[in-house]
Parts: sequence; C-alpha cells; structure tokens
Amino acid sequence: RWGRARGAARGRAERALTLSAPAQGGGSAVIDMENMDDTSGSSFEDMGEMHQRMKEEEEDEAAEGEAGAAEEEDGEFLGMKGLRGQLGRQVADQVWQVGKKQASRAFSLYANIDILRPYFDVEPVQVRTRLLESMIPVKMINFPQKIAGELYGPLMLVFTLVAILLHGMKTSDTIIREGTLMGTAIGTCFGYWLGVSSFIYFLAYLCNAQITMVQMLSLLGYGLFGHCITLFVTYNIHFHSLFYIFWLGVGGLSTLRMVAVLVSRTVGHTQRLILCGTLAALHMLFLLYLHFAYHKVVEGILDTLEGPNMPPFQRVARDIPVVSNAVLNTTAKAIALTL
Amino acid sequence: RQYGGYDYSQQSGFVPPDMMQQQQPYTGQIYQPTQAYTPTSAQSFYGSNFEDEPPLLEELGINFDHIWQKTLTVLHPLKVADGSIMNETDLAGPMVFCLAFGATLLLAGKIQFGYVYGISAIGCLGMFCLLNLMSMTGVSFGCVASVLGYCLLPMILLSSFAIVFSLQGMTGIILTAGIIGWCSFSASKIFISALAMEGQQLLVAYPCALLYGVFALISVF
Repeated sequence: RWGRARGAARGRAERALTLSAPAQGGGSAVIDMENMDDTSGSSFEDMGEMHQRMKEEEEDEAAEGEAGAAEEEDGEFLGMKGLRGQLGRQVADQVWQVGKKQASRAFSLYANIDILRPYFDVEPVQVRTRLLESMIPVKMINFPQKIAGELYGPLMLVFTLVAILLHGMKTSDTIIREGTLMGTAIGTCFGYWLGVSSFIYFLAYLCNAQITMVQMLSLLGYGLFGHCITLFVTYNIHFHSLFYIFWLGVGGLSTLRMVAVLVSRTVGHTQRLILCGTLAALHMLFLLYLHFAYHKVVEGILDTLEGPNMPPFQRVARDIPVVSNAVLNTTAKAIALTL
Repeated sequence: RQYGGYDYSQQSGFVPPDMMQQQQPYTGQIYQPTQAYTPTSAQSFYGSNFEDEPPLLEELGINFDHIWQKTLTVLHPLKVADGSIMNETDLAGPMVFCLAFGATLLLAGKIQFGYVYGISAIGCLGMFCLLNLMSMTGVSFGCVASVLGYCLLPMILLSSFAIVFSLQGMTGIILTAGIIGWCSFSASKIFISALAMEGQQLLVAYPCALLYGVFALISVF
C-alpha cells in the first residue's frame, strides 16, 4: 500500500525517480520519469512497487548488491538503449535473485542428506553381528523383536549383490540388448530393495504391523545376505541341485528370519498370513529369478566345451565319426536354450 | 638457479600464481605446495613480457614431484599415511592414472575409456555421499576424487598383467583379489587418517573394494 501511494504521488509530481545504490556499490542510477515512454507498459504504481521491492532486496542481499550495481553501471556504460532496456534488465536481475534464493532454500531443505546421518553410525562389530543374525530365525514370536534401523549394512549388501550379478553376467557372457550390464544390475537390485520394502511397508500399514520404513529397509537389506551367499557360490559352481539346496537352505533361513520378525510385530492370524506369505514368496522368487535370468547361457557353453574329446575336423572325405553326433546334439541343445 | 625471478633453490616448493599473496615461510612439508616462497617481483607477474611468465605446469598447479611422493605413499600399503595429504586437491595425478589405466586396457584390446570415466565418476559420487554421512567432519568432492584416483595405481599393474596373461584362471583370481585388497586398503587408510575415523577402516574399505572390484571386472573380462 505504501508503495502504491508513493508511486502515485511521484507520478503526480512527475519528478525524477532516484533508485539509491546499495551500500557497497558504486554510483546510483537515476531514472528520469519525464523521459519515460508511456508505451513502456509499466505504470507508475508498478514503478513504486518495484522500487520498494528493490529497496528490500538491497537490505537483504548485501553481496548481490555489488553485482546489481555493476549491472547498472554496465547498462550506463553501454549507452542507454532507452530506459526500457535498463528497467528490463533490473527487473530480470531481481527475478533472478528472488528465484535463486527460493531455489537454494528448497535445495537445502529437501536435498539435505544429513538427515540420513544417524543411520550410518555403526561399528564393524555391529555390522558383523547383524549379518550373522540375519541368518538365524528367532524363536520368540510373542513379543516384538528389535530391528536395528541402520542403513549402512543393507546398502553395502545391495551393492555387493550388484557386483555379484555383474560378475555372473560377465562370466556367462550375457548380452543385454537394451541397456547396459551395470544399469540392469543396479536397477534390478535397487528396484527390488526399495520397491519390495515399500510394498511390504504398505501391506504392513494395512495389516496393522508395528514397523517403520527404515526398519523395513534394514530388514529386507539384511535379508539379501542369503541371496549374496547363494549367488556367489552358484554362479561359480554350476550344479542345478546345488543351487536348489542353497535356495531352500540359505534362502529359506533368511526368509524365515524376516518372517519371524514380522510375525512378532503383527497381531491376528489373517494379517500375519498375508504379510509373511507375500514377503516369503517375493524373497524366494527373487532368488530364483536372479539365478535363472542371469547366467543360463553358461550351461550350454559348458556342455559344448567340455563334451567328449573330439579330434579336429579334417578336410578329406571320411566316415562321419560317432563323436560328431554328440557335437550336433549339444549344439542343438545350446541353440534351443538360447531361443 | 633462478628463472624469471622465481627461486627454485628450496625443495621443490612453488606457489600457484593465485597463492602468491601468502608470504609464509617454507616449512619443508612436501604435501603442502601452497607454502609460499617469496618471488622477487610478485606484482609485475601479470602483464609483463614473455620471459617473466611462469612455466605452464606451474600455472596449472601440476607438480610432478608431489605427484610422485603421493604415489609412493599409495604404493607402500603398510606405511602410515599423513593426514595432511588431503589438504590439497590434486586431480592431475588421478587423471594421469585413469588415462594410463585406459591405455593399458587399450593394449589388451578393450577400448573402454567411457566405462572407466563413468564408473569413476559414479564411484566418486557414491563415496563422497557415504563419507559425508559417516564422518564427523565433512569431506570435499575433490579430496575423495583425488584419493580414489591415486589408489587406482595397483589396478594399472593388474591390467598391464592382463595384456600378456589371461586373468581368468585361479592365479588370475588370486592376483585380482590381492590387488583389490591393496587398492582398497590404501584408500581406506588415507581416508581414515584424514577424517579421524578410527575403528571404521573396514567399513570404509568395503565400499572402496566394491568400486575397485568393478574396475577389476573391466580388466579381467
């Protein structure tokens, strides 16, 4: 209100409007209202408001005032292209400064990773203990079990799983047609960790279970320890039966642990069944998927390479030896596997 | 010996031009090239004729002697690291090492400079976030990049070994594991000595091991 009245008063008086320079800056810019073109589009009221806003800006931003003064001097030095150019530049400068202030405020509010700091405050002994505990199902499910809300261990386990997947893909010469190996591995592992955690958290909210998001992330992250062990072993030793033993044994143990903890925090049979059934199914199926999706090519190659010893083919007419039948069969099998 | 008004008689200490105003006596610490020595004509540095300009490497802040000293620190895994290594951010050495790594991969037939660049950028970013979350004092991105780059040196040995021998047998696996351990041990040693994170060396070493493991994966396969 003050600005409008002042602007109107000034407009009536039709005197030159002086914009005082900031404290540190150089000279002042004098805008002569008499020379102002009426078709410039800014009324006197806007001039007054702008003047007031600029005064407030100057009081706030002491440092940018220098840049503003330099801007004004620059405008003067370039020989005024008319007052419209200078006004426009000042308005643009103002808009820029306000926008920058708001953006930096928003950034410091939302992108502040310091809120995650307490979750990374761990000792190596604690991490080792929790890793081992993640394979031991608890017996007491009648009162809520404690879940450590830390994120260092789960994050490292997810990255380890990424590394193991990458290693598996490289040893089996998996070709990803749309995307990169690294991108696929990271997307799969992080997608599972974050996605399934969120989904189970949502289900826990529906089933009235006492668990927070960080605890769920932590629980599922430590549950990936079993997956890491299983995949590390079975990507290097290729026996299907060995994989199934590990799947049921190691995978089953880590799933049982997570299920037991969740059961201890949920009341009611139906809710327990829904929550734990979903988690168990997703966890075990994920291990199955990782095993079969990322190194299935290996078996075909191994069979072809380690088949019966065959003599090199000779380019003379000869009786087709028995051995080449075996080669034909294994090649066909390999092709069938890849299709 | 004098050159263009600069005194090289002190032990390889030189000052980048923008640090000229600090007129502190040279204390003889090799890891702080910003310790000044007094040039005779500081003011006439800019705008004078061609002979008075400093050498290009000096202007860029590249000091081969410092790079060499820091390399030796990395190469001795059992030597205690000085915390003041992190005081200066020197990216010239790491740049040289990354290029050398790419060059040794090239000699083995893998043109993967892009992978090296991408993985080192993402890895440095990840380590930067993690170290900022785990340490009491913060750490700057330049320091993280500098340390991780210097500790890449043993990986260059691995990839040069891969030029002539295949690393996919049992000896290759053992060698790769050893080199990864060496790199991550050096990096974690420097990090914890500079950030005062005693007792957490394993926690810092493991992410470094994962990062160098990915580099090793590029070298091996």
